[in-house]
Amino acid sequence: MIQRISVLTRYFIQSLLFSLTGLFYLLLMLAFWFVLFNPQQQTPDVAYYQLLIGAFGAGLVFLVTLSMAARANDAQHYPFVVRLKSRVEFVTAVLLSSILVTLFYQLLLAILALLNGPSLTLGHLLEIPPIWLAPMMMTAVLALHASDFITIGWSRIYVFGILAILLFGQGLQNDSLARFATGLSRYAINQGWVQISTNLDNYANTLAQTNENIISRLFGFVFWPFEALADGITNGYFTANQALAPAILLLYAIVLFLLAVDLFANKDLEFTE
Amino acid sequence: MIEIRNVSKQFFSLKALDNVNIQVGRGEVVGLLGPNGAGKTTLFKLIAGLLHPDSGQIRPSNGRWPAIGYKPDRLLFPNRLRISTYLTMMASLCGIPPEDQEKAVFDALVEVDLVSQASKRIGDCSKGMRQRLGLAQAIMGNAPLLLLDEPSNGLDPNGQAEMQALIKKLHAAGRTIVISSHQLEEITAVCTQLIILNNGQVHYQNSMVEALTISPHTIIQADRDLAEIADLVRAQHPEIRVEGNKIQLRGEAMKLRREILALLLQAQYDVLHVEQKHVTLAEIYARAVR
Repeated sequence: MIQRISVLTRYFIQSLLFSLTGLFYLLLMLAFWFVLFNPQQQTPDVAYYQLLIGAFGAGLVFLVTLSMAARANDAQHYPFVVRLKSRVEFVTAVLLSSILVTLFYQLLLAILALLNGPSLTLGHLLEIPPIWLAPMMMTAVLALHASDFITIGWSRIYVFGILAILLFGQGLQNDSLARFATGLSRYAINQGWVQISTNLDNYANTLAQTNENIISRLFGFVFWPFEALADGITNGYFTANQALAPAILLLYAIVLFLLAVDLFANKDLEFTE
Repeated sequence: MIEIRNVSKQFFSLKALDNVNIQVGRGEVVGLLGPNGAGKTTLFKLIAGLLHPDSGQIRPSNGRWPAIGYKPDRLLFPNRLRISTYLTMMASLCGIPPEDQEKAVFDALVEVDLVSQASKRIGDCSKGMRQRLGLAQAIMGNAPLLLLDEPSNGLDPNGQAEMQALIKKLHAAGRTIVISSHQLEEITAVCTQLIILNNGQVHYQNSMVEALTISPHTIIQADRDLAEIADLVRAQHPEIRVEGNKIQLRGEAMKLRREILALLLQAQYDVLHVEQKHVTLAEIYARAVR
């Protein structure tokens, strides 16, 4: 299994790196470096260095995974898939190669950014792998779900629909929730549901009077690891709770990867010809 | 080796396979015939596990799936790779240990006569070479079940003959082969079982020997039109047909050959040709897809 995954990973890495798409990503990395880490300007601090390069990796891995998945979704790979003991090996190779290619560009950027950049201590260097890798894995798996390679029917809509609902819920403010509850209360009274209307009214009043945004916090809990990670970096240190954030992100990534594998294993492979 | 039971597969409104039942025995060479769109490639993809049936089952007879070598009909390969690199990669995917891969690749190249082209980029290969490469990757790793979708397509006559010889050799080595082709001579030459698909359904299924020995008949050819004595000849037996200057005797009527010849000679006809014939694959095919 390891032999097959490593052979496929090497193949996918080479096919992307030595292509026009690979060149495009190299140029993108250079542009990012030139704009955000211009060596002629003053030295950026460590937090800026960690945050921006981490964000670059997370963003780039999404694009790279989409490119890799599109390449893997080609009819020339039918004989490969037939030879594998399990389709999981194929998806794993696609994910692994996407992450490794992105890491290659990210490390190039990290090295370039050190020109006239911050001086990193050993402590800073040890902080980097979990900070950069966890969001990268998470974004790569999300990109897999966004690709035709994994999608079955409406699966993409479900995954990103749920994500959109969570984001929307997180953004809800007390006053808009209160207005919504009042509207529902009016509808309930018109229908003759007095008890429900009273409860909704009470809820709207509570929301209007409190600063605590319960719904937003409930939905926002899912995104806590991202916030914790960003806070930890900008503060320059991680609290005990914040230090868990990368692990939780990895857990999200694993769950989503298992879902992706299950979808791929059960789909009809109609690769592009 | 493989049992296909009541398998149906639909793509949107198109019924690609409809309640197909096929048994592929160990060591058989099964020929799949059918017009374009009959469902042959869909059947290959189902056996290869690339597609899942909507209903029905595809399962190995002994409960364990054999390793499968699959040559798709479309000759698509990673064009930037060299032939040997591609085959080495396939050898790795087949689970051949690294120390044996070089020999496995060489053996496969020898089988398909591509040794001299091993270092060529796939993108620079001709259609015939790509066809051979497709076969080379399929036979890699001694997969007991080979699915060859139109393996001779694009090969010149010599290449086709070599392909037939190779398939016979693989059959002799005990491999089970499912092959689709539009070339009836090839199917006749190499297959032990015959399946004809049309509109997603099995229209004909038989062993090749039985298929070609059923409906034997005798053709008697006279020197001119037989209209004068046609009724008299037909009156001898219901399985006698007269068309132009030919008389066809089927079944029990074949025993009346001497009497019919005597009738012809009596009526001053010269007999040009008497031939004992069996039904041809082309006739079986034409009847099945009609």
